[in-house]
Amino acid sequence: MTDQEKQDNQDRAPSWKVIAGLTVLLVVSAGGFGYAYFADRTEAPEDPALAAFVPSPSNPDPSRQIPGVQVVDFPNRTHIKPGERVVYTFRPPIGGSHDRTWATCTGVVYERPVRSENVVHSLEHGAVWIAYDPRRVDGESRASLATRVDGRPYTLLSPVPDLDVPVALQSWGHQLKLDDPNDQRLDQFLTALRQNPNTHPEVGATCRVDADEFDPQNPPPYEAPPATGQIGTLGVRGENDAREERPETEEGEG
Amino acid sequence: MSQGRLPITGSVPRRPRAVGRTVSIALAAMMVLLIGAIGGYVLAKAQGLNRPAPDSVDIGFLQDMSIHHEQAVDMATRARSASADPGVRRLAFDIETGQIAQIGRMQGWLELWQAPVQPISRAYMSWMDQGGGHQGSGHGVSMEAMPGMASSEELGRLRTATGAQLDVLFLQLMKRHHEGALPMLRYASQRATRPEVRNLATQMLRAQSSEVELLRELLAERG
Repeated sequence: MTDQEKQDNQDRAPSWKVIAGLTVLLVVSAGGFGYAYFADRTEAPEDPALAAFVPSPSNPDPSRQIPGVQVVDFPNRTHIKPGERVVYTFRPPIGGSHDRTWATCTGVVYERPVRSENVVHSLEHGAVWIAYDPRRVDGESRASLATRVDGRPYTLLSPVPDLDVPVALQSWGHQLKLDDPNDQRLDQFLTALRQNPNTHPEVGATCRVDADEFDPQNPPPYEAPPATGQIGTLGVRGENDAREERPETEEGEG
Repeated sequence: MSQGRLPITGSVPRRPRAVGRTVSIALAAMMVLLIGAIGGYVLAKAQGLNRPAPDSVDIGFLQDMSIHHEQAVDMATRARSASADPGVRRLAFDIETGQIAQIGRMQGWLELWQAPVQPISRAYMSWMDQGGGHQGSGHGVSMEAMPGMASSEELGRLRTATGAQLDVLFLQLMKRHHEGALPMLRYASQRATRPEVRNLATQMLRAQSSEVELLRELLAERG
């Protein structure tokens, strides 16, 4: 290396002033960015634990993250005739054929068990049905369930006889059974599924019913479900019955 | 000049210059990364992530007012289908259809902004506690039930009432319901961050204020 080259090298070497300037600039802008980023982050959701259960385009059915939730599809269903019964696979039922009239689900706390065929229609409209076993849930624990339902649109609470667990949560095609009415999964289920437009068939359908069609103070009473063997007998339908007026072969012949 | 510097570079030969260059390159690389991060952040903010925060006035108002509206529609539906009075039926139909459409807007925005359509664990109207120092609006507004809401017992009476009894009960409950909404509407019309939310709240405020007058007149006519 000649003296001249050494001299050039020395000229091109960055001065410590430049380095110090760059460092200051970097620290200041990184600090500014970091502040903006974390200031944004601290806009905490109402309840951070539940934020993960809000439906979104990237997470259309957050209930799948809740341990114990059963999910099934009901592709075929029909409106049964007045007085007909449906044999449901799930107890309490979570979908399938149902009565023409839905049970009022405008945040109603039912004192007595309600006819399942009506409540399934409410699920089709986006409601969450909280069912409880009156032998094991009463007093304070029932009151805590009622506060989650009373006056809350698209929610209904009712006792169900012979329930196999203290509390069962139903949404269209979804069920979660709980031993404890204060289980945190109850709020997760409500957040994920109540009025979730991705999981129930009739988005925007109402929970209101004219009082002369369905009176929440005097609803059609609960009846013990018919036995599976009765499907096909008079007045008893399967939950996945297609419309009987339109057999599958009819369209092919046209 | 070079003569003057030589002794200095002589005492710290070559290495500091190499280190200096490395440090400069590293700093420059970090600057590039930082600029990229800022750019990405700004882009993400611009693309729809500038939705109102979950604890904002906007989200709280849309969630609570949806529930408040649901009950008004509930009562109006009953009066529209069961009243024999054309004046009551007309008003009930107006409230029923108008508020259903407004619920649709509010729920649509909540869905778009990826917020729950209902509050889950907070008290009603907690969003009106924001902005400390605002006299008279920041104390005790969070509550179990929103002002003006009818109890389930009152709703039950509305469901069974008929004739003039139904008309008067409906007008009374709806007047109280509308009046209860006014403070929430006023607060959101001033404090919401999104212009469409402020606009909707302002329109609701005007409509419901004038409907309160109408309800008063209808009640006066019926004793």
